[in-house]
Amino acid sequence: MKTPGKALLSVKGLTRDFGGIRAVDSFSFDVHEDSITGIIGPNGAGKTTVFNLVTGIYRPTAGSIFFEGEEMAGLRPDKIVRKGIARTFQNIRLFNRRTCLDNVLTPLLQRERCSFPGALFGTPGARRLERELHGRAIELLSALGLGKYASWQANTLPYGLQRKLEIARALATEPKLLLLDEPAAGMNPEETRALATLVGEVRQKFNVTILLIEHHMDLVMNICSPIIVMNFGALLAAGTPDEVRENPEVVSAYLGKGKKTNERTSG
Amino acid sequence: MWPGLFLQTLITGLSIGGIYALMAVGYSLVFSVLNFSNFAHGAVIMLGAYVGLALAAKLSLGFGIVLAGSIAGAGIIAVLNEKLAYSSLRRRKAPSLYLMISAMGCAVFLENLVYATIGSRFYAFPEFFGRQVISIGGSSVSLLDVGAFLFALVAILGLHLFINRTRTGIAIRAGVSDMTMCSLMGVDLDRLIAIVFLLAGGFAGVAGVFLGIKYLVYPTMGWVTNKAYIAAVIGGLGSLPGALAGGLILGVVETFVSSYISSVMRDVFSFSLLIAFLVWRPNGLWGTDSEEKV
Amino acid sequence: MDYILSIVILACINMIAVLGLSIFTGFTGLFSLGHAAFVGVGAYTSAILTYYYYVPFPLALAAGAAAAGLVSLIIGIPTLRAKLRSDYFAIAILGFGEAMRVVLENLEITNGARGLPGIDNFTTFPIVLACLALGVFFARNFLRSRWGAACIAIREDPIAAEMAGVRLFRTRLLSLVVSAVYCGLSGGLLAHFLSFIQPVMFTLVQSTQLLAAVIAGGMGSLSGPLIASFVFIGLPEALRVAQMWRLVAYGLLLVLIMVYRPQGLMGYSELSSFFRRKDNPGGRMQP
Repeated sequence: MKTPGKALLSVKGLTRDFGGIRAVDSFSFDVHEDSITGIIGPNGAGKTTVFNLVTGIYRPTAGSIFFEGEEMAGLRPDKIVRKGIARTFQNIRLFNRRTCLDNVLTPLLQRERCSFPGALFGTPGARRLERELHGRAIELLSALGLGKYASWQANTLPYGLQRKLEIARALATEPKLLLLDEPAAGMNPEETRALATLVGEVRQKFNVTILLIEHHMDLVMNICSPIIVMNFGALLAAGTPDEVRENPEVVSAYLGKGKKTNERTSG
Repeated sequence: MWPGLFLQTLITGLSIGGIYALMAVGYSLVFSVLNFSNFAHGAVIMLGAYVGLALAAKLSLGFGIVLAGSIAGAGIIAVLNEKLAYSSLRRRKAPSLYLMISAMGCAVFLENLVYATIGSRFYAFPEFFGRQVISIGGSSVSLLDVGAFLFALVAILGLHLFINRTRTGIAIRAGVSDMTMCSLMGVDLDRLIAIVFLLAGGFAGVAGVFLGIKYLVYPTMGWVTNKAYIAAVIGGLGSLPGALAGGLILGVVETFVSSYISSVMRDVFSFSLLIAFLVWRPNGLWGTDSEEKV
Repeated sequence: MDYILSIVILACINMIAVLGLSIFTGFTGLFSLGHAAFVGVGAYTSAILTYYYYVPFPLALAAGAAAAGLVSLIIGIPTLRAKLRSDYFAIAILGFGEAMRVVLENLEITNGARGLPGIDNFTTFPIVLACLALGVFFARNFLRSRWGAACIAIREDPIAAEMAGVRLFRTRLLSLVVSAVYCGLSGGLLAHFLSFIQPVMFTLVQSTQLLAAVIAGGMGSLSGPLIASFVFIGLPEALRVAQMWRLVAYGLLLVLIMVYRPQGLMGYSELSSFFRRKDNPGGRMQP
């Protein structure tokens, strides 16, 4: 039974140093179940580093990361994925030379208890599992509108579809929390609107909480609540889109004095 | 008797360490700019030795000219190596695996080319320094050993100053942190990289000659698991002071093992040291390792 | 005719080792110039078992392959950790290969550098062919499986692979062990074909030949390296090329391939795919 409002992810005092640079500074925030939470901030504010910390690519210098009440800091990335956190990358990291199908199939396979001898000998059981997962992969691709690209090599896809493929692959790990790192990067307004719809649909269909980093203000303001603002590795402000929009510190640090945010309604 | 042996071993160790340092510098230099281990560097060292040998034995030229010739020859070979085997990979941003395969390919190619054409015979340099020895603290040390050590010290110091004080040097260091930024700002990246390889090759040439004079010249003298790489790793790939320190440390420790334990154990020991560092302290003692940006 | 048959047998034996290295380098993306050491371990283990202890051939072969797999753990466990730099690993396994030769030259039971003569000639063409066929069968199934997908994911992008649930260390280690087992089997067959083995047959030279076949045949392909290795064994034999010139050619070949055609002959596709799908709407495979 889902409790809306419960903190699925709870980050406390998260700090990360690189040599002499403090990339993340005593950062604390909560992500509530079933929400679409946004993280915004100037370049270099530490947003992606936070993602890297939550997903285990970096170890925190200090602080804790609680996911469903369990401490995640210091765990290996693949363990964290198994606990239910998935992500996409700012610079799209697909399995480039594999087909779209294989990209999505890979995480599905990792989640299964396969028998090594069974796989090696190609037993009927192994073959059956293969077919079943194959079917699930096609379903997943189709759910994101990528069905017809199943046999295409991943890096031959148009850019926007590559981003969708990355999301599909992340969803294949059956996450409870999905981290999207600048999913709208490089997209024009029309594509961004389509993405906004997609994000909403993904949350619905896959029952997943979403935490996203973005620079496209219209996307963030329209679909995210709450919004967390970072600057210099630390928390600057947090709240609903209206609260954040009106916060004078946020405005001067990030949105720029006198600059109006684009208030297009979501499509 | 004991202090005498100790001092002798130390000095011998330092001198061979100087040669190792000269060999290691080339690795560290290229690593610091391209973040890649140039496995073909050993072959350049070897070719530098052969060039010097040809000048000395065939043309009977003096030591100074032989050294200059090797520096020039090895430098040119290194630049060619980069242009032919690495530059197109670098431009296409090919994965580092490809660079490594290409580098290994070069090493295998060059070494066996020499083996097949010139032969596997061990050649000796003509006696440049004779058997001259000088006395330091009661032990007799060959002039060659002293020369190699001092040369290494001066040359590496000079390189360090160059990297840190001159415009080109600073550009090279800047290239380390951000290649795309550099090219956007109008720095000719190709020229910069050529200079780096020229320097690395120059040092390789010197190292090859000293190594050849001290021991012998043969096709596998520069092979990649040899001392150059070990020294560079110990000192920390990417650090020039590290290369110097690594070379000296390796030279000294190795010579002590050889003197006090056995000379057979020497190579086993050095290799084990390498593995130990790679596994437990991959950044060596002073190294920088630019991690992949996620 | 006999001569041609013996070349074919040698080529097939080589192909088994190349299959192994292909899994490790071609499909997991880990560079190794040390795999001849595993061939050597398999060769010596199986030869010692049949020669001194009269162990039945099939058992000796299996033992040789298993021994090679176990030995690979010695270098694999300390070096294949998560934050791996591929050039460090390359040096480590290369050195390991050379160290293996030194070990083989200095053990009593291996008869040292003189080599082990008089091994029974158990290897026949049908046996080699069967082993090769089984090897291909298992390799294909392995690559289709969860572990194969994990290996390939690591080759493509280790960080993304982790995010897909792949355990880096375990998968790399598994890939190494599997490749070593293949090489060990190849070694056992070799020993009982040549009837004589020496440590110098399992050095960097042979490792380079194996790697050249994998690269030239194409990383990410099984059929490509098989074809390449057949050519690499057959052609020099037919042309009577001296060994050192072969190495000159291999070295040059590696560089040329990387610069001009990194995907090698078959790169990321199989011979079978040429006959299967005529339509590939997604565009050509890119290296």
